[in-house]
Amino acid sequence: MGAFDNVLLTVDEAISDLFGQWNVHTTAIVGLFVGLVAYQISTRRDPDTHPLLLARQAQASAVRHEGESAVYRSQAAPHGMPLNAGLNVKDPGASKWSRGRDGDLRDIWRQAVAGVQDDGDTKGATGRLLTVLGTENVTEHALADITRQINLIGQHVANQGGNRVAIYLPNSVELLVTLFACAFYNMTAIILPFDQPDDAVLSMLRRSAADTVVTAPGSFPFDTVVKNYPSLRQLVWVVDEGSSHMDWNEVPQGTGGSVNVSTWQDIVGDYPVDAGRDLPPYEGQKDPRDITVFWQAAPGTTEEMVRFTAANLVSAVAAQIFAIPTAQRMGPSDLFLPADSLANTHTLALTLAALYSNASVAFNSVAVGANDLAVATRGISPTILVATPAALLKTHQETASQLSSLIARNLHWLQTRDLTQKGVMPVASLLTRYYDRLRPALGGTPGKLRLVFTAERVGAASPPLSSAVLSDLRVYTGARIIYALTAAKVAGAAAQTGFYDYRVFDDAHSHFGAPLTNTEILLKDTAEHKTTDSLSKGEIIVRGPSVAGNEAALGVVGVIRDDNTLAYL
Amino acid sequence: MDYVEQRMAQEAAKPAVAADSSSLLTPLNLLILGLFLYTAYSFFKPQPPAALPKEEPAVVFTTFTPRTLLPYNGENNAPVYLAVRGRVFDVTRGRNFYGPGGPYANFAGRDASRGLACGSFDEDMLTKDLDGPLDTLSDLGRDELEALQGWEDRFSEKYLVVGKLVPVGDE
Repeated sequence: MGAFDNVLLTVDEAISDLFGQWNVHTTAIVGLFVGLVAYQISTRRDPDTHPLLLARQAQASAVRHEGESAVYRSQAAPHGMPLNAGLNVKDPGASKWSRGRDGDLRDIWRQAVAGVQDDGDTKGATGRLLTVLGTENVTEHALADITRQINLIGQHVANQGGNRVAIYLPNSVELLVTLFACAFYNMTAIILPFDQPDDAVLSMLRRSAADTVVTAPGSFPFDTVVKNYPSLRQLVWVVDEGSSHMDWNEVPQGTGGSVNVSTWQDIVGDYPVDAGRDLPPYEGQKDPRDITVFWQAAPGTTEEMVRFTAANLVSAVAAQIFAIPTAQRMGPSDLFLPADSLANTHTLALTLAALYSNASVAFNSVAVGANDLAVATRGISPTILVATPAALLKTHQETASQLSSLIARNLHWLQTRDLTQKGVMPVASLLTRYYDRLRPALGGTPGKLRLVFTAERVGAASPPLSSAVLSDLRVYTGARIIYALTAAKVAGAAAQTGFYDYRVFDDAHSHFGAPLTNTEILLKDTAEHKTTDSLSKGEIIVRGPSVAGNEAALGVVGVIRDDNTLAYL
Repeated sequence: MDYVEQRMAQEAAKPAVAADSSSLLTPLNLLILGLFLYTAYSFFKPQPPAALPKEEPAVVFTTFTPRTLLPYNGENNAPVYLAVRGRVFDVTRGRNFYGPGGPYANFAGRDASRGLACGSFDEDMLTKDLDGPLDTLSDLGRDELEALQGWEDRFSEKYLVVGKLVPVGDE
């Protein structure tokens, strides 16, 4: 035997020795090993989006001006191209490839009534309009009936000389109807935030020079307004069914002699059933009028009045539709619930986007300001929700306090890992069954909710949401969350986080993602914060078709992070 | 084959090591346990989100006078700029044409409007007096202005506008 054979013999003996030690523990460990590898392979999923798309979410302009940062735009709105200005409305019979109009509010309602136009399974499907009263009473409004109300209310108010119509209502179908009535009958809509002190209401009416008010009894200080605001010509009460037997047309003696008072129900009821079935035709319609809204900053400060053109608003709606990947856009199978005030243009733009996408929309007057999502979603199962940061934070705290057990915390960790490491939404599995009991009760059917919109309001002292809280909420609700930056002079949002962005950073206030397709953002130097070649920071300036006056300084200092997302400094 | 038989016999002759068979801490177990833990670690190790290298910082938009534009002629690896009707383009990417030794090298660092309009690359197309007013091009005909517009459009498509050109004393 040579030396080589000896080596082989030694190796052979060593290996035999090693595996000769095989025992029951070895089998157990190997079993675990195989189990781990099998688990990894079986749960392996492609990330929802390519991770590098999240690594640089906005594109910077190659040239910047002295004293400001580069201009940042959405990846979907390249520099040198016009920003997304409208809905690309194609009139019936127009070529599929022609460029559509930007459209306005009227086109949104026409689309809601007409149903889905694209060929496919859902062609012709329309959404539904629901009002939620209490926990069980859900009323559905036929779209034809809403069209009739739009026509009758619009004609009535316009015939009585209404020109500037203030809407002082909670989230309701009537608010939406009045808004569309103003659009179709050539009046200026003024949306007042609901539930304000008397003097605030009076001041807002004065500043907006309203001549007509549509409101609900009990919340509107009629006597005070009539006494102190002589320009008021017309008032429409939206009366509950329960109190419609009372004579609301009667004006108290000595007050309001010049005010024409009527009720919504009378206006709609007095006309024959056939009246007002058809919307005014598109041909020969007048240019759309402005929409005035009031931005509530921190409590105790005067509301800022902002006039948006119809083009501003429609651009905001279009950008919200485009901000969602095609496969996940709102559609007839969705139920949209705004649990934030429609007086916020962000909520309004999203609601209009839902209508334009033929999603069903539900209104719940309790929803606003209640800050309790479980209450707001009672009675229905929304798939898309607009919520305030305060309400989300409350949900987070309540749910987090229930997740104290070791198993729950580990399941939470596993699901968070899906989001942050694999870039996928956690899916329901045998493992998570236990966890489901601890989820917050949002809506009647768990697991329906798929998307939550929420927004930081500049200067309005809304509580900050960190990226860790947002990630927790994604796990709790099983829905994606989009966190936007909104400001007084920007209809809709100025910037918002990406649909597929689940990353968690060490931050107290999450970033706001990239600009939408209708905004561009730059940072102007302030005394303390100046843009350098290595870091862009300064006061946030937003430009674009959704900005009142096309450009607005937000008055807060921002920074562009390494992934080209915008954050507060 | 002999060898295999011999080894089989050897192994069979070994006494059964019953005492060892239930121990957890055998070298084999440690080895497999180590592999298992390493694999688990590499599966569950948190990874930071993907990042891209930082972008080039944006060029600051600058106001040039004919005199301050002069150094940007591409010599000694400087960038190549040229001005067309008051707009300064960064044509460094077209260095083969506009840089030193290129056919359009005369335009580098200068106001190229007249030269482009007339389709001439000669020295006498450039404004001689660097401290004087800019060339107003008022004596040019329609064809020439059209040609200039064509050039300008091409430049706008291909190159970045990095500044503007103003006469000395006007900045």
